[in-house]
Amino acid sequence: MTVTSTRAYRPPAPLGGRRRPHGERRRTLTALAFLAPALVILGVFVAWPMLSALRLSFTDASGFGVEDWVGFDNYVRVFTDPAIRDSMVNTLWYTVLFTPTAVVSALLLALVLNSRSLPFRGFFRTALFLPFIVSLAVAAFAWSYLLDPRLGLINYWLQGAGIQLGDVLEDPMLAMPAVALVAVWKNFGFYMVIFLAGLQDIPASLYEAARMDGAGPWRRFTNVTLPLLSNTFAFVLIFALIAALQAFDQIYVMTGGGPYGHTETIVMEIYKSGFRKLDLGFASALSYVLLIATLLLSVVQFVFFGRREKDLG
Amino acid sequence: MSALAVTHPRARRRLRIGPVLAFVAMLAVTAFVLLPVAIIIFTAFKPTAEVNAYPPTLVPTEWTLDNLARILDELPFGRLVINSVVFAGGVTLCALVFDSLAAYALARIDFRGRSVLLIAIIASLMIPFQATLIPVYQLVADLGWINTYQGLIAPRAADAFGIFLLRQFFLALPHDLDNAARIDGAGEFRIFRSIVLPNVVPALMTLGVFTFVNNWNDLLWPLVFTNQAEMGTITSGLTLLTGPGGIIPYGVMMAGSLIAVVPLVIGFLFVQRRFIDNIATTGLK
Amino acid sequence: MTRKTTLASVGAIAVAALALAGCSAGDDNPSSDGPIELVFWHGYTEADGDVLNGIVDEFNDSQSDVHISTEINTWDVIDDTLLPALSSKTGPDLVAMPAERFPVYAAKKAFVDLDDLYADADSNLSDVVEGAKAMTVVDGTSYGVPIGFVPLAIYYDKAAFADAGITEVPADWDAWVDAAKKLTVDENGDGTPERYGIVLPDHATVGNGVWPSLIYGNGGDIVKDGKAVLDSPENAKTLAYWHDAIVNDKISPTGVDGIEADSVFSSGKAAMTFGGPWMTFIAGDAGIDYGIAPIPAGPEEQAASAIGLTLSVTNQGDAAKQAAAETFISYLFNDDNAAAWSLGSGWPPLRSGISADAVADNPTVATLSQYTSFTRPLLPGVVNSTDVLSALDELTQRAMAGDDIASLLTDAQAKVEAALADQ
Repeated sequence: MTVTSTRAYRPPAPLGGRRRPHGERRRTLTALAFLAPALVILGVFVAWPMLSALRLSFTDASGFGVEDWVGFDNYVRVFTDPAIRDSMVNTLWYTVLFTPTAVVSALLLALVLNSRSLPFRGFFRTALFLPFIVSLAVAAFAWSYLLDPRLGLINYWLQGAGIQLGDVLEDPMLAMPAVALVAVWKNFGFYMVIFLAGLQDIPASLYEAARMDGAGPWRRFTNVTLPLLSNTFAFVLIFALIAALQAFDQIYVMTGGGPYGHTETIVMEIYKSGFRKLDLGFASALSYVLLIATLLLSVVQFVFFGRREKDLG
Repeated sequence: MSALAVTHPRARRRLRIGPVLAFVAMLAVTAFVLLPVAIIIFTAFKPTAEVNAYPPTLVPTEWTLDNLARILDELPFGRLVINSVVFAGGVTLCALVFDSLAAYALARIDFRGRSVLLIAIIASLMIPFQATLIPVYQLVADLGWINTYQGLIAPRAADAFGIFLLRQFFLALPHDLDNAARIDGAGEFRIFRSIVLPNVVPALMTLGVFTFVNNWNDLLWPLVFTNQAEMGTITSGLTLLTGPGGIIPYGVMMAGSLIAVVPLVIGFLFVQRRFIDNIATTGLK
Repeated sequence: MTRKTTLASVGAIAVAALALAGCSAGDDNPSSDGPIELVFWHGYTEADGDVLNGIVDEFNDSQSDVHISTEINTWDVIDDTLLPALSSKTGPDLVAMPAERFPVYAAKKAFVDLDDLYADADSNLSDVVEGAKAMTVVDGTSYGVPIGFVPLAIYYDKAAFADAGITEVPADWDAWVDAAKKLTVDENGDGTPERYGIVLPDHATVGNGVWPSLIYGNGGDIVKDGKAVLDSPENAKTLAYWHDAIVNDKISPTGVDGIEADSVFSSGKAAMTFGGPWMTFIAGDAGIDYGIAPIPAGPEEQAASAIGLTLSVTNQGDAAKQAAAETFISYLFNDDNAAAWSLGSGWPPLRSGISADAVADNPTVATLSQYTSFTRPLLPGVVNSTDVLSALDELTQRAMAGDDIASLLTDAQAKVEAALADQ
């Protein structure tokens, strides 16, 4: 079994002690050369607007016309406005519904698709990836139509089986799971493909060795697959988290935030404040609160999974 | 695998039931997953009366090309397709190049401030785009790039997600080959181009598909950054198809979605072949 | 060394090119020769758009000082793209929009004050319909002109009326509910009528106007003189009355919103619906022989909420452009064009000075114009209409679902007060 190194290359320490500056500066310059185009684009079109938004969050700007400095007023309102607090709870609930479901189902399907004993793998892989290719707005319309209490096939078929679903999108209990389901449907194919790539990177020899040691399928999964997949897993998890915290498109189309604001997420409030009420300052403040919350959650998650990475040595 | 199966008869029996169950489960899951896709396809060919009829049908009892015809009639379709291709294709090409360069540096070159830069890039993903849309728009307008291809493409020519994704794949690559090349004195870019890049083709394909699909389907971006019908993309052009009262009839909307999706599916199937080939050859080191 | 200078000069050229590109595109022509170029955004995408564009063309042809080019998108798209455009000074000079979106832009000073234009005798604006003008007033100043003002009306299926033996359109609420009961048909007795007498949406209604119309009918209101008056005994009675009619008498499907209501009516599942002039096309397409009736009078008065659109001059251009835009407005409101626009848009004329004869050609317009006297603009001058309407939606939706009306009204009143305080 070849030993593969997963650490970046470091030139061996010279005899007589380390001399950092020279090699380091060259590396930094080389790195800059590689990074330059991306940094220019990101700097101009991402970093600068983000700083603009930060500045706007301390004003009552509408985007045009007169703007006044209001200090932390917007931020205070973020935490005291009951509608905003509700949207935070809704977003958390959505995240709990979406993230584990999407990630776990993607992993499970990737595992099944990875096994060589499954026939028509190519067909399944393509079919399961198709939802990703459809735009979210269109997917939302298609699902709205399917779930329509009068015209929808799902209600019609369930009625045949004796189950009365009612108007799912107007049901305070069912609306959020429904919109989360649409997002799971749309995204799991992509996460699945990433997991597949990660799985392919695990050398078959490791499984052979484990089998020879008498490990059953579950043991092989926990001792070989999971640890070697933890990087990929952490990566997918972070993106599923970010996607969930920023949920907007399908909810806007399917429920508009209803019923009674039960599916109104933070980004919907940002959109409402910025584009409907022309309160760009407040929208920016709310966006930054979301950013900080996402950052914190990611750090927590990274620390948890980062530890596993270290265990591998 | 077969040798082991012979020596462990129990393992062999377990193999029989498992795959069957897995296959059946996959069929069920796939059917459920494809249901909305089927709805889109079938509704595109249903006359409006049947779309609103009860009991609902999956497959149209009466097929019609009216919905498609309406779209092709009312929209400058050829132009919209070209714009979609240029926009999505342009963004994808630029992003693949710039993101892979940046990801390489972040994964393989140890330099001062690397972690900080990485965190900053990831953090940029955590702000919803509704917050930065106005400042970006003002920037693009100041450059005079509204209603232009460069205005649509430039802000997205590099993206944090792509950098992060590719970095992940770069990290997973073993260092032996390129360490050897480095000791031999090869320049960093040479290593990048000749040694590392060929080994991450599946990752590049993944990112390419992701970027192309997302930009092809993006509605708000081309809508906001172009305001002339001829510069719009397919998705933004479809918003012009409203009926009385401002509502787009379902059948027409689905037909439009179908037209928007077909090129993607064809492209994906084409890339899929290279996908399979490449995924099969990596990891067998 | 040479490489560095080459790089530097390439960089300098690139920057210069960018700067030049920024200069040449977009900014207003400083030259004074050639007509003033204006951009007009509107969302009339159907045949009405052709009529409006035709008026613009005639305006352009009739003089050489001002040239207007139109950009047409749907109202929703205009709403999404107007803010970025205004923020970078690349917005239109003239913009039309639905009336409920108007106050927030006016309050943020996106539009030019038009009081002087109204006062000007030559501007053809002296006899603009009162209710229509009220839509454009925020904090006592008018920031636009109405470009569309039509009452919500009842569109009904004549064949269904004939079947049920109804010969007169109902004149008041009781007669209305009676008629609806007669029109509700449940042949197979399964509790779900094949056809309802009426489809009454309980949230996100057409132009947000169904429930305000009913509220006005019983003498109530939502916001009056800038104060929330939602919690009132009149409104409580209104909600209870209609809850009984819908739930007990089953005259309407429940849980429907405005858009679904259209398809319920056009698929023949309801004999009456609330709507605007576009219902004539929807009904026509669905093969329904339709009739138009005014919203029946409530116990206190007859009232119909208006669906409105406004036209404003933005602050984007300089004084010359604003003046030029105002000349177009006067042109649009002259006798010929006011009548032509009314006929072309299928909406009642916006000036009371336009006689009924002038619009007799379009029977829909002629009919709807008769209701103008009791047409009321929705939440005029209320900047935070977003939150007020969302509170109203929740109120009516929950009330029709059977929740306790008294506590619902208390909650809704609090929400509306908060929304008004937030402006």
